[in-house]
Amino acid sequence: MFDKKKIEELKKKEQDWFEKTKDVRGADKNVLSGSGIPLKRIYSPADVKDLDYEKDLNFPGNAPYTRGIYPTMYRGRDWTIRQFTGYNTPEETNERFKYEHEMGQTGFSIAFDAVTESGIDSTDPRAIDDIGTGGVHVDYLGDIEAMFNGLPIDKVSTAVIATPWTACPISAMYFVLAQQRGLSLKTLDGTTQNDLLLFTCCCHLMDLIPPSDLIRLSVDHIEWCSQNVPKWHPVSIASYNYRENGINAYQEIGLMLAVAVAYIEEELKRDRLTIDDFAPSMTFHMSSHNDFFEEVAKFRAARRMWYKLITERYKAKNPNSAVFKFHVQTAGSTLVYQQPLNNSVRVSYQVLAAALGGVQSMHATSYDEPICLPTEQSVLLSIRTQQIAQNDCKITNVADPLGGSYYVEWLTDELEKLAWEYLQEIEAKGGLVKCIESGWVHQQFAKAMAEQANAVESGKEPVVGRNCFTMDKEPYDVPIFYPEPEDTAKIQKNKIAKLKKERSSIKVQSSLDELKKVTEAGDNVMPSVLEAVKSGATLGEVCGIWRDIYGIWKIPFSG
Amino acid sequence: MIDRKIKVLMAIPGFDGHWRGAVVVTRALRDAGMEVVYMGQQQPDAIAKTALDEDVDIVGLSIYAAGHLRLIKKVLDEMKGKKIDDIPMVVGGVIPQPDIPKLKKIGVGEIFPPGSPLEKIVDYIKTNALKSR
Repeated sequence: MFDKKKIEELKKKEQDWFEKTKDVRGADKNVLSGSGIPLKRIYSPADVKDLDYEKDLNFPGNAPYTRGIYPTMYRGRDWTIRQFTGYNTPEETNERFKYEHEMGQTGFSIAFDAVTESGIDSTDPRAIDDIGTGGVHVDYLGDIEAMFNGLPIDKVSTAVIATPWTACPISAMYFVLAQQRGLSLKTLDGTTQNDLLLFTCCCHLMDLIPPSDLIRLSVDHIEWCSQNVPKWHPVSIASYNYRENGINAYQEIGLMLAVAVAYIEEELKRDRLTIDDFAPSMTFHMSSHNDFFEEVAKFRAARRMWYKLITERYKAKNPNSAVFKFHVQTAGSTLVYQQPLNNSVRVSYQVLAAALGGVQSMHATSYDEPICLPTEQSVLLSIRTQQIAQNDCKITNVADPLGGSYYVEWLTDELEKLAWEYLQEIEAKGGLVKCIESGWVHQQFAKAMAEQANAVESGKEPVVGRNCFTMDKEPYDVPIFYPEPEDTAKIQKNKIAKLKKERSSIKVQSSLDELKKVTEAGDNVMPSVLEAVKSGATLGEVCGIWRDIYGIWKIPFSG
Repeated sequence: MIDRKIKVLMAIPGFDGHWRGAVVVTRALRDAGMEVVYMGQQQPDAIAKTALDEDVDIVGLSIYAAGHLRLIKKVLDEMKGKKIDDIPMVVGGVIPQPDIPKLKKIGVGEIFPPGSPLEKIVDYIKTNALKSR
């Protein structure tokens, strides 16, 4: 893009300028990006001299999609406002969904409690104190029906934030609900999280089956949905959650692509589908963290890298295969317990970074997350934060407004380089599944968490309200939200008792027998999961089949 | 006895699997020369049993999910049942301010909400673990 001779001249001038200003206050400061990349004081065309506009950036909607995946970006369609929501019973979560919908939210996202994510029913005596606490509890089809009662699932898409194995029955419940309402699975829009690392390495689950078996169910889900629910996104690789474990921006991309590679390889080795049959359905769920410009660069780098991975390594021909669609959650781990209202400001900047990075869907984390589950008021503020960005600030006027910034383009390249290296490191260790089984991923996270904690502790990493600008007395009195686990457990148990009286136990048993047979034979489990769910089988009964076959995994981590 | 390293049990009671707080504190305690038995998430009875079997000096619980009042009480009850309720307990995690006095009343020594300085946690554990010997 630049004249070679002129760039050489400029380089010299830049060196002179650095030299001449080296004694000015601040010139000797050693400054690093959020992920530890050393930063110069200023960037110039000399730092991006090799950039080829068409090959490296191009126009939005054109490969490699660095500047965005749609030709009109937000002029055509704003990003979807999708707050991650769920607590107590499905009926109470339904109320919250309705409130969010009335407030102008444009997508739903279900937060399940850890018991549901573990594929365990509310009748399990161990579960009583955790039912409905970190999310909503779901036992069977009727719960999904209740959760979406009166909500237009044909117009508003839903994200089902479930683990790889519970993803199969819970998504199946949602599909059955759609069919009951007369909707065609051919047009049903939404997403299932279905991420391999999220609950094996980021948040641990009780009674989880081993990762090598989880991935089989994960990919069964992708395989079946890509053929039968073509608008559904059966996986949303959750690098948000990896990042929440302390790793940096390029490690986030590297791990995210490592999970994608593991899924793709698992499907391709079955020799049932080609890359173009399922890659278009793959989506991503990233974090928007504190280093504003590095985060913008990260989203841009991720788009370009996905394009390269899919077309160069996997030779995809369908342009949709190489389009990187992503949701963003602003980083909960950056929020601070002290002076909690300040968090809404942190969230706003992170929302802005994601918007400038070309996001498709977003959850703006609520300011009270370090204190309690979000109140109705804090959820409203999260929705309004996004609406203000979309309406008042005019940031949606032009696509990729930071594209062409010498700094952002240089940083995009740097992150890409470092992320490829991290991906290679994982592949050199035998790939992602091996890295989970060996405990390597856990160790990476634990090391990163400890380092970050020490940086905050030592004051090296300033955090307002936490280690600087602290106050002796909390200045804000914020309302607290309490879920009611005991009541929820009681209500859910009664529902199961009623269900067991009403359903045909013969039908349930035969559908579960069929599921067992199919699982053992290595066929796609989704058709029999759908039958089991329709017959009234509970989530715990379906997952119990897999627990019996595969056994329970012991997490390879001891601190 | 005095020569022995301070021995801490670190666990996450219940189903919720958020581990960041437990890991960060575990590593800080080890850096400070203590021995930490890291259990990850466990049911209250298993936590009390390990506390007894491992003969720990102090029990640390980390909790993010909202069932903290009941889950922590269950661990304390299990410890009482095993006659080891003289072992002090500290709790960290997402604990709303109004619940802090409630937890202290049922027998928790100290509560460290998110963002508590690690140094303070290490000092507290050092002092109280030694007292319990």
